[in-house]
Amino acid sequence: MIVAENLTRVYTMGRVEVRALGGVSLEVAKGEFVGIMGASGSGKSTLLHILGLLDRPTSGAVTIDGTDVLALSDRRRTLFRLNRLGYVFQDYALIGELTALENVYLTSLVRGASKAEYLERSAEILRRVGLGDRMDHRQSELSGGEQQRVAIARALVNNPSILLADEPCANLDSQTSRSILDLFARLNEDLGQTIVMVSHEDWHKEYFCRIITLRDGLIDEMVECRREPHPG
Amino acid sequence: MIAVLEGLRVSAFLAWKAIQRGSRGTLALTIMIIALIFVNLVFLPSIISGVVVTFDAQSIDFDLGNLVIEPREGSQYIDDVTGLQKKVEQIPGITGTSPRITAGVTYFYRGRNAASTLYGINPEDERSVTRIAEYMTAGEFLSNGDTDAIVMGVTLAGREGEEGGGLPSLEGVGVGDSVEVAYPNGETRTYRVKGLFETQSFGVDTAAFVTAREMEGVLGLRDQASIILVKTEENGREEEYKMEILSYGVQEEVRTFREKSGGFVDQAIQSFNIINAISTLVSLIIAIVVVFIVIFINTVNRRRQIGILKAIGIDQQIIINSYVLQVLFITAVGALVGIGLNAGVTTYLTAYPLVFPGGPVYPDVEASAILRSIASLFGVSVVAGYIPAWQIAREDILTAIRG
Repeated sequence: MIVAENLTRVYTMGRVEVRALGGVSLEVAKGEFVGIMGASGSGKSTLLHILGLLDRPTSGAVTIDGTDVLALSDRRRTLFRLNRLGYVFQDYALIGELTALENVYLTSLVRGASKAEYLERSAEILRRVGLGDRMDHRQSELSGGEQQRVAIARALVNNPSILLADEPCANLDSQTSRSILDLFARLNEDLGQTIVMVSHEDWHKEYFCRIITLRDGLIDEMVECRREPHPG
Repeated sequence: MIAVLEGLRVSAFLAWKAIQRGSRGTLALTIMIIALIFVNLVFLPSIISGVVVTFDAQSIDFDLGNLVIEPREGSQYIDDVTGLQKKVEQIPGITGTSPRITAGVTYFYRGRNAASTLYGINPEDERSVTRIAEYMTAGEFLSNGDTDAIVMGVTLAGREGEEGGGLPSLEGVGVGDSVEVAYPNGETRTYRVKGLFETQSFGVDTAAFVTAREMEGVLGLRDQASIILVKTEENGREEEYKMEILSYGVQEEVRTFREKSGGFVDQAIQSFNIINAISTLVSLIIAIVVVFIVIFINTVNRRRQIGILKAIGIDQQIIINSYVLQVLFITAVGALVGIGLNAGVTTYLTAYPLVFPGGPVYPDVEASAILRSIASLFGVSVVAGYIPAWQIAREDILTAIRG
């Protein structure tokens, strides 16, 4: 469960201060599929970065599964990201020198899994996202949709309690986008995966349980469950 | 400890993939530069060591033997040479002694003249100490009974029409020719050249030898010598033998061949070591700069990748270590290639040695020099690789990802 309280984020650019978040409070329950929407510059990516421990707020508090994550040292935040969070980037963020399979099992390697264990688990997840026959291909040999599936598989391989996705379909055509969103929906429905996804596409709303709309760094609207959340 | 090992496993994985799938050209070039730096680090010390080995060998084999016995202070000659020889030769490990009478003379040949040293020797004794007799290029070495014969170094004998270039030269003396010698006491003698020798040690090749009996006659000496050369069973233990000789009650001056050389070698080594230190410093600076640039460019190009790795939960130290391991790999392969190149250079210079005034110099590659070069290369490479990797890896995640 995520609890964010009164988050602000102010960037200083020279003498100018830009307020990306002006005091955002929200809760995400276990098993929810939450969409964060809003126009460009509304602060949705900034919010996701803070929830994903990639950035620190200027003020406010974030608790994930009971841990005050802002109080953690950089090293413990890294470990937290490794063990508890999965992050899917807009532009896939794969390691170009690694194959799909290697990209997926890299974090399992850090966690000290045995070779048999991480190979089996990574291959299984890649099969689940429909890439059973593309495991040995490198990033340059995969389509955009396939790369995003690899990124999703990588985010899932360590069984994160929360999956965060930053506009994962931004660079994909609508057909591929739908297949990616179907995959997220299946993960949420079948496995009870908690998902927080940033999107600006209106038609994505049908996939979310709850939609939080940001405007100018503040919550403008919070629409409760269009779909029933997974029992968790 | 287990976490550290797990971390190293991931660092090794990332490093190997970067090496395996990164730019082959850059990798090969960097390895080659490291290899050449290694050769430079090893080559100069091997030549310096070779010079020392050559000088020592030349001194022992042709000029001084392992030790020399000289007259007591205030005396020009050693007296009772036969008795002293017997005393010294009974010491275990002493394999020979050769008394020499030394005189600065002027040689005359067909209107040309040259000033140099003439030694009076007992040919059989000389054979037991020096190897000059094995290096005859023409004619024969002296025999004990020779009184009108002289053997001469090829430099002193010279070549027809060629001046000595600063060295004493009679410009074309051959075996069978007659040479007139003017002694310092005003006596002159004419000798038939019995043989010519070439040791490649310029101090020896500019000298000549007659028998001690002949020289004693000219200078009016009896059982006396200017110096006695002493040959020991093994080289490198001269100090021990010196103490041993002194313990036998020898009152004359006893010195090792190095001491006799008057610190010439030590001074030369010191000068060489300064040159070597400068060369080593320059080589290591080049190594630091090359490795730093390679890793800096590598990390800057992979800045985004480093950000991604941190974002997905990979510890900064694992990322830094992956670059350090790449550097270690490059340095290890570079050093191996360097050892190969060095072996090639050494083989070539052994077949075609550098010629120094003291004789041909063969590279003497010492294991300690190789180990020292490898250690210093690894040391500077790790530092030069660590700094840029650390600089980029400590960057804020989002800044790194945005490139």
